[in-house]
Amino acid sequence: MNLKKTSNGYLLNTVVIVLLFTAFQILTKVKGSDGSFKLVLVPSLWQCCYLMVLACSLNLVLGFMGQLSLGHCGFMAVGAYTAALLSLACERSGFFTGKSDPMFLLVMIASFLAAGTLSALLSLLVGIPALRLKGDYLAIITLGFGMIIVNIINNLPFCGQDGLALGSAAASLYKNGLGFGSKAKVQFLWFALIVTILSLTLMFMFVRSKYGRAIRAIRDDEIAASASGVNVAGFKVLTFAYSGFFAGIAGALYACTNATLSTSSFAFTNGGILNSTFVVVMVVLGGMGSLTGSAVAAAIMFFVNYQIKNGTWVDLLPSSVKGIFEYPMLVYALVLIVVILFRPKGIFGSYEFSLQNLIPDLRRAAAQRKAARQERKEARANG
Amino acid sequence: MKKRNLIFLVLAFIFVFTLSGTGVWAADDAIVIGVISPNTGALAAYGIGISTGADLAVEEINAAGGILGRQVELIHTDDQSDPTECLNAFNSLVAKGVQLIVGSATSGCTSAITDAANEEEVCILSPTATADSLTTEDDYIFRACYADSFQGAIAAAYAKQAGFERVGVVYCAADVYSKGLFDSFSKACAAYGIEVAAEQSTASLDVQDYTNQFNAMVNAGVDFVYAPYYYDVVGPYVVPQARAAGYLGIIMGADGYDTTPDYVVAGADLTAFNDVYWTNHYDPSDTSEIVSSFVKAYEEKYGSIPSAFGATGYDCVYMYKAAIEAAGAVDAEAVRDALADTSAVYECVTGTFSLDESGTPMKGAAIISFSSDGQSVSAKLVDVVSQLP
Repeated sequence: MNLKKTSNGYLLNTVVIVLLFTAFQILTKVKGSDGSFKLVLVPSLWQCCYLMVLACSLNLVLGFMGQLSLGHCGFMAVGAYTAALLSLACERSGFFTGKSDPMFLLVMIASFLAAGTLSALLSLLVGIPALRLKGDYLAIITLGFGMIIVNIINNLPFCGQDGLALGSAAASLYKNGLGFGSKAKVQFLWFALIVTILSLTLMFMFVRSKYGRAIRAIRDDEIAASASGVNVAGFKVLTFAYSGFFAGIAGALYACTNATLSTSSFAFTNGGILNSTFVVVMVVLGGMGSLTGSAVAAAIMFFVNYQIKNGTWVDLLPSSVKGIFEYPMLVYALVLIVVILFRPKGIFGSYEFSLQNLIPDLRRAAAQRKAARQERKEARANG
Repeated sequence: MKKRNLIFLVLAFIFVFTLSGTGVWAADDAIVIGVISPNTGALAAYGIGISTGADLAVEEINAAGGILGRQVELIHTDDQSDPTECLNAFNSLVAKGVQLIVGSATSGCTSAITDAANEEEVCILSPTATADSLTTEDDYIFRACYADSFQGAIAAAYAKQAGFERVGVVYCAADVYSKGLFDSFSKACAAYGIEVAAEQSTASLDVQDYTNQFNAMVNAGVDFVYAPYYYDVVGPYVVPQARAAGYLGIIMGADGYDTTPDYVVAGADLTAFNDVYWTNHYDPSDTSEIVSSFVKAYEEKYGSIPSAFGATGYDCVYMYKAAIEAAGAVDAEAVRDALADTSAVYECVTGTFSLDESGTPMKGAAIISFSSDGQSVSAKLVDVVSQLP
């Protein structure tokens, strides 16, 4: 019965995704050359894609395993540079010419896989010593890793900004490698969407599998888990590597989106919303232990950030409010405070959004709210 | 319940504004110029300089009747000196129909939008992005400042002129700006027969400790160090730490040193800033008509002496004005062709110049030194170099 329900759920999701995807492809065909579609919506979707994959991959470690990783963007940087360099190398060796070459697709898939694999290998390296210990050592080690990797990349002659730029500071990625311009972003949007959906699905399946149950057991009580025969260190390292893989994929998506790579984007903190601190913020905002929550939170953070800086409605606000918007960090802080006040466990808590259970879930929530209201009313009447 | 309704109301308003937003901002026949600059974040002083300078220029132009009889309007966007944000800002401007853009301040950010600008066929005129590679192709990218290959060579020429035969360099290998200046400086040193006796690199542009690097300079026994960094580290870290490490010779920098005096740490020994030289786009104390009237107007409006970023931001708008008037049209292609005309001469605050084939001005640089009596740091003009020896 339960098994049947699960497979029904997957079937329903697949059908809905395929439908949405087809609708979107048609929309792309129709509106492909339209200004605001090409310049605003599509680049935004690309950015949402990598933020979602990144936030969800961190949630595996932070939310489901209960270990804090403060250098997640470091793994993303590894992925971004691996994919970028591999695609450049393929172009320079004449393996493909231009983005319409059928070989390009192959190169793209290969670079994405290479990006994920190398990040996963590095997270194994970091995870094996760090995760065998109890306590918050992972936070410290990943914090260091994030900084070390950025410095290593900066100083490697073939992949610092100088190496990628070779000839033109507008990184040659744009013309020769993975980097997509606005037209190419529309053309390859399907690829980004598929990669994102596939990554989220794989992470979701991981969480639901016996591995997912094992790491949740570890999060809740390490001693009890190991007493029940769970290989604590093994599962921790496995999850960390799995999470690193998808951080690498997010990095490859980032390389496609931006066409210029700069290590400042992968730092511990910087002015923007893509840094190791903000990924943690996204996970906490969405709810630790809810992958759909992380995806939603990533999209919300992106939307808020984009609107503050580029929204036309900002100009219509009174100047006192606009004054706050000049300091975007203040707005994020306010958003966070409001969310944490009203939803201390994040927007989704540990609830997973599910199409199949949507109606029963809504009904249950409505019933609960009604009961709570009834109770309050009674309390008021009595008191 | 009421509170929730209010929240919904606000959200609905935001949503409506977002949807209906496009197209409500401009007067019908105004010429719209977009400005992308780092108005917040680590290099905010640059962004503020550029946007205030551009605002001033637009105000003057509009008061004098506009361009081709049309008023000019600026749309300011913020890139936080981050390439991703820069590309977002660029896309949103182009989606609003903007064809002429001033921006961005740093080479790293500008390099993120050059190819996009070529693809979208939108003009980019950068006030201060100095990396050589930005304008290498015949395209929509121009700038109002000299390139690093010139700026670095001037520093070397100054070293030669001042009689130094052995010099040292502290730079950041990972940054387009710093590395570009290092390359041109060391190339020029080789040409002038100056020995680069010590080379030290930092991991990134925002490192806060330069003690080891300057210890190496002291050990190498050099009395002239070229250190191309931005003001946010020069004021609080580079100069004080160099002096603390026992390095007492000349520290030479580039246009990134502009606005440093505003960022020195209170209570620090300001005499450390004696013997600090740097190359800049213009000198505010210049007595020529165009510079003094610009400085006066800027001071009246904003209450401070304009930095080189204010000056180049101001110049960018006037360059667009000249190009639009020469082309007689405001679309990107016509303006591009006008800017690509190498015989056009622009009379600007930062010099009178014409653009070369790549779109980079051929103009001189001012060499400026800091001096301090221990109370405050002030800048004074040493020399204006218009041609390399």
